Amino acid sequence: MEYMPRALIAEITHRCPLHCVYCSNPLEMQVRQSELPAATWARVFEQAAEMGVLQLHLTGGEPLARRDLTELVAAARGAKLYVNLITSGIGLTAERLGALVAAGLDHLQLSFQDVEEATANDIAGARAHTHKLAVACLIRRHRIAFTVNMVVHRENLDRLEKMIALAEELQADRMEIANVQYYGWALRNRAALLPTRPQLERSLETVSAAQERLKGRMRIDFVVPDYYARYPKPCMGGWGRGMILIDPCGQVLPCHAAGVIPGLQFDNVREHALGWIWQESSAFRRFRGEEWMPEPCRSCDRRSQDFGGCRCQAFLLTGDAAATDPVCTLAPSHGLVEAVVAGVNAGAGAGVATSSPGWVYRADPV
Amino acid sequence: MSRPSAGCVPRLAAGCRFSDAPGQGDMLLVPEGALRLMGVGRKIVERCDGVRTFADIVGELRAEYPALEPARVEEEAAKFLERLHEKRALDF
Repeated sequence: MEYMPRALIAEITHRCPLHCVYCSNPLEMQVRQSELPAATWARVFEQAAEMGVLQLHLTGGEPLARRDLTELVAAARGAKLYVNLITSGIGLTAERLGALVAAGLDHLQLSFQDVEEATANDIAGARAHTHKLAVACLIRRHRIAFTVNMVVHRENLDRLEKMIALAEELQADRMEIANVQYYGWALRNRAALLPTRPQLERSLETVSAAQERLKGRMRIDFVVPDYYARYPKPCMGGWGRGMILIDPCGQVLPCHAAGVIPGLQFDNVREHALGWIWQESSAFRRFRGEEWMPEPCRSCDRRSQDFGGCRCQAFLLTGDAAATDPVCTLAPSHGLVEAVVAGVNAGAGAGVATSSPGWVYRADPV
Repeated sequence: MSRPSAGCVPRLAAGCRFSDAPGQGDMLLVPEGALRLMGVGRKIVERCDGVRTFADIVGELRAEYPALEPARVEEEAAKFLERLHEKRALDF
């Protein structure tokens, strides 16, 4: 086949004890009763491995909210996939972690909302921070890869050095520092989350110094906010080129946010084989390749590097999913992003965290 | 970070392993990625088993590639392991 998927993101549930104000789940979430049973997931993992998928990312919601998670990990490892669990740690005990590792878990990513308890709990809408610290100690008793995920934004970016020190203290192999991306819940809270330019510049210096200092001990991957970028991110490595996302009820999407684009029809693993969906599903074909591209993308030298950016962001900001991603400085609609960035930087004393942003918290599916 | 010393014992880092899926055996799986290792690179990493020292590995490579200059074998192997170490794919 022309494109081979390499990673499968399995959103096995949308249930979650946290209510983070930047959650990447869709605003309309799937309920527990519609979740795929473990046997269907096991079949899908086998199909994915046959298609060339190497890595499975088990995420949610909170994957630990599923009682059969250990069974899912065993099925994935049995299908010869590399198994990564992305979790808040809520619901993880020493016994449960031991069972997951015995079932074949390769890598665990533990998310943190901040380095300080009060602000971390404020973002999560739950008292979770102290428990996460305890969970991190449990993880280091096992020989699996351990990543600390830190989501950063205007309210916490000034504490970046302390965050890196925390990940070091927890003996992470890797740290992922990801600026919030503005979809779903985060787009609703964008005015309070987007960092200022001076904050961003300081953070780049901090990360670069830490990467040099920690070389060979802890790898740091940094995701910058694309509103400040000159060119767009190569979202998902290009639409339908290497990644597949399956939501809790079995719908197959090219990315986390694709559900926002009107008119896309998503096929379901309950009705079709994953290989067929990858090749034939109209949603995957819609923006695959370069046929759909408008100018300036169509004739741009960078089209094979960033694929015109993110389709969901193009839709959310311009109303047209086939437009050039407006974060691109070459996009006709770039003024939309410039206006948002200007607004955030206009406040005097840019970089100083505000007191009470008035968050819109992620709701839980009923 | 420094080069591997003669006496150090390299091994794959936690959560890093070769794929056991059919046809994917040359893929070294690491957190958030995969490295395709072929030829000498693959032979070096296969020997990073937590038992052999770096000196052992270099000795075996010299025996396998007698046409290559011995100093160069060590230099290239050290550089290669250092790169994997920086990616956190290897401990030594």
